[in-house]
Amino acid sequence: MPRAIEFTDTEFMIAQGARLIEDGKTIFVGWGIPQVVAMLAQKLYVPNVTQLFEFGAIGPQSVLPFVRGTMGGPQNTFRSLQWLNMNWAFSYSATGYMDYGMLGAAQVDPYGNINSTHLGGTFSKPGRRFPGSGGGTQVASHCWKTIIVIKHEGRRFVPKVDFLTSPGYLDGPGAREKAGLPRGTGPHRVVTSKALFGFDEATRRMTLLSVLRGLTVEEIVKDMAFRPLLAPEIGEIPPPTDDELRVLREEIDPARFIIRGEKMSATA
Amino acid sequence: MTADRIRTEGEVEYRFTHPDDFRDHVRDRKGRSPVPKLVTEKEAVSAFVSDGDYIVYDFSSLTRGPQSLIREVIRQRKKDLWIGAEFTLHESPLLVGAGCATRIDVGFLGYGNYIGQAVCDGRVKVYEWTNGGIALRILAGARGVPFLPTRDLLGTDNMKVSAAKAITDPYTGDPICLVPALNPDVAFLHVHQADVFGNARIFGTNLFALEMALASFRVIVSAEEIVETDEFRKDPMRTTVPYFLVDAVVHAPFGAYPGAMPARYEIDLEHVDRLNAIRNDEQMGRYLEENIYSVADHDEFLDRRVGAGRMRELRRRATIIEGYR
Repeated sequence: MPRAIEFTDTEFMIAQGARLIEDGKTIFVGWGIPQVVAMLAQKLYVPNVTQLFEFGAIGPQSVLPFVRGTMGGPQNTFRSLQWLNMNWAFSYSATGYMDYGMLGAAQVDPYGNINSTHLGGTFSKPGRRFPGSGGGTQVASHCWKTIIVIKHEGRRFVPKVDFLTSPGYLDGPGAREKAGLPRGTGPHRVVTSKALFGFDEATRRMTLLSVLRGLTVEEIVKDMAFRPLLAPEIGEIPPPTDDELRVLREEIDPARFIIRGEKMSATA
Repeated sequence: MTADRIRTEGEVEYRFTHPDDFRDHVRDRKGRSPVPKLVTEKEAVSAFVSDGDYIVYDFSSLTRGPQSLIREVIRQRKKDLWIGAEFTLHESPLLVGAGCATRIDVGFLGYGNYIGQAVCDGRVKVYEWTNGGIALRILAGARGVPFLPTRDLLGTDNMKVSAAKAITDPYTGDPICLVPALNPDVAFLHVHQADVFGNARIFGTNLFALEMALASFRVIVSAEEIVETDEFRKDPMRTTVPYFLVDAVVHAPFGAYPGAMPARYEIDLEHVDRLNAIRNDEQMGRYLEENIYSVADHDEFLDRRVGAGRMRELRRRATIIEGYR
C-alpha cells in the first residue's frame, strides 16, 4: 500500500548519501553532515566501510548519538583500528588508499569546484565568511571519488564559485592533471536535499541523474544558477525509509540538531 | 630556484625562519639538562609568550585543547599575535575578540558567527593554507628543511592567498606545490600526563603534537596529571614529546575545559553553547569579563565559574575509556 512519508530535506539528503557508500571501501569523512551520513551508512548498510578522519582516526566506529559540533572527541574515535595524527591521515589519501571523500560545501559550480571560504565581496573584504578549507582541499585533491553533500538551494549552485576552496574538475577535462593534482581523481556525485548529480565523462560538467520521488526535473533545475546536463534517463529516488528515519531520529540525532530542515513528504 | 621553474606563487606575508637560524636557537637557547620546569599558567605565559608572537596549539576548544593557556594569554592581554588556526574552533574568536590576535593562518577559521564577522569587518587578516598545508609546514619545520612538496592546493584559490608556490617538479616534470616551513614562536600542548621535566604523553589522536613541539622556538605543556619520569620509561611507545623540547610544564587539571579530555572528562556543551552564541563585541566582552578577566587564574576559574559539582558531573560522563590510559 502506498503511504506518505514525512521527513525533512536534511533527512533525505543524509539518507540518500548513506545509500551511496560502498561496503568494503575506504572513505575520508569531512566535518558536519558527512559525519552523520557515514554514521547512518555504517549503522544500516555498510558495516565493513573504513572511515577516516583528518585528525588521525582510522576506522572508527562512532558511538551514537552524534555530539554536535565535535569532530575529534572520544565518541567519533571509538574503536578505531589506528590512532595517528594529521600528517599521517593525509598520507593515506595522498597515496591513493582513500576510495571516497565526502565533503559539505557552501557553493558548488558546474565542474564540482567547492567553495567553503566566503560568499560575496572579495577575499579580504568578504560578504560572508565561512571556516574555509579545513582538510577539504586535501580530501577533494587526493581521494579517488569525492561526494559533495549540499542543500538544494539555487543560490548554492553557481556558474563560478566566489572562492575555489577545494578542487573539482577546475575548468574542464584534463584540468586537474594539468594543475598537478593526482591522476584519475575528482568529484563523483553531488548529493542534495532533492536530487542526485554526477559528472559527464566527456565535459566533466554536472549532470542530473535522479530526483526525489514526486519532484519534476523542472522543479530541480529552476532555481539553479546554471543549467546542469540531464542524464538520458532521469531516475527516481525513494524517500527516506522507516529504518533510516528511525536511526537518524532515535539513535544519531535525538536532539534534532542536525536533521531539522524544511518539511517534505513523498510516497513510500 | 630559477624563476622559470616557478609556475604560480601567492604573494602574501608568511612566517618563515631559515632552518639554520632555528638550529642556532636550538643549540644556544634550548636546555638539554633535565631540570624541573613546573610553573603556573601565569608564569609560563609571561615568560614565554610575547606580543607579536606566532602561536600554534594542538587540537581544539572542544577536544583536548590548551584552553587554560589560551585564557591566560587573553588575561595577560597579549597583542598582535599571529595564530596557526589548524582545526581550530573557539580559540580564534576568543583571541580576536580579546584583541590579542591580528593575523590568522587558516586552517579552519573557527566556529560561530563572531569570527566570520570579524573577517568581514577587516578586524583580522587571514591567509588560507588549509589544514593539510599547515600540518605540512609544521612538518617541514620539524624536519629542519625550508619547504616540503605536496600534491594539493594546486588549482585552488588558496594558492593566491597563501605563500604556497607551484613549481615544475624536477623529477616528474609535473607541477608540484611547495609550502614553506613554519617554525612558530610558541606551541601550546595540553596532555594527559607530564613529568616535571617536560616528558609528556597524550592518549588518543593528535594534530601534529610532536612536529609542533620540534618546530617551535618555545613549547609550553599543560598536563591534567603530573607523573614520575619512570612512567615514561616503563612505556616509551606512549611518549608524545620528550622533555628537551619543552620549556615549561603547567599542572592544569581541567585544562581543556570547556572541551573534553578523552577518558578524563566530557565536553561541557552548555558552556560551549554560550561560546557559540557570541555574535558581537558586547557579548564577547561579557564572556571574557566573566570567565577570564574577573578571575585571577585557572584555579580560581574552576572554583568560582565551573564549580566542583559540575566538574564531578563532567568526569562522570566520560565513560569512554577504552584505548586511553
